[in-house]
Amino acid sequence: MLIDTTQIALERAIEGTTARNTALASNLANAETPGYQRVDVDFHGALAAAMGGGEGRLESVSFAAQPDGTAQTRADGSSVDVDSESAKLAENALEHQATVQVARARLNIIEIAIGKR
Amino acid sequence: MGLFDALNVSASGLTAERMRMDVTAENLANAQTTRTAAGGPYRRKEVVLAQQADGTNGFGAQLRTAMGGAGGPGSGGGGVEVAGIAEDASEGKRVYDPGHPDADGEGYVTMPNVDTVTEMVDLISASRAYEANVTAMQASKQMFTKTLDILR
Repeated sequence: MLIDTTQIALERAIEGTTARNTALASNLANAETPGYQRVDVDFHGALAAAMGGGEGRLESVSFAAQPDGTAQTRADGSSVDVDSESAKLAENALEHQATVQVARARLNIIEIAIGKR
Repeated sequence: MGLFDALNVSASGLTAERMRMDVTAENLANAQTTRTAAGGPYRRKEVVLAQQADGTNGFGAQLRTAMGGAGGPGSGGGGVEVAGIAEDASEGKRVYDPGHPDADGEGYVTMPNVDTVTEMVDLISASRAYEANVTAMQASKQMFTKTLDILR
């Protein structure tokens, strides 16, 4: 198969990091909103569950932002810690970059194999 | 959730934090104002922030809903919006100044309920939150650029 399961998983992971980036950005935007509960996207968990689920599960996996009930709540009811959100944002961006580079490298191999370069 | 939603979310944060800075600046400018159009001394204003609901309008959101795929409205965190500007109802400080034209019968002037130190703290807080949103925006932008590298 030209585009194998690993490649699909990598592409879904790129989608996951993009979804998580949006969730973390909305946490930072709502850092001063009273009563706001931080959200996060557990795409690692969703991907791991999908990969163990057999044929076709990976294609249909979806990434939804879930409220994070474990976060400490401040006196104003907001549970956003700007420092930890910034750290997560940077971490997520690096993960995205790594995933994109691996996906690109695998596509390069296919391109060489089909004599494109 | 579209590719550029993160940018819109951060942009809403920038708008909200700039509004907070504007209102704080107004409070500071009017820290000694004893006359207003509504009568009485100036009252401190405060921005009320609220979480923005996910957009259901727009081409991207409609298309995702129509396709029944993941990432339709309600799947991601929304941005932030200014729900309104509230007036601080607390009483202003009464200062003894019988020569002041706005002094009452006992010679006391009611000053605005603006505490300049609180306003400065608010200003710094809004400014830092603004910077955090700019950083988030830059991170999103770099991510999108990396994603587009797949096409090269």
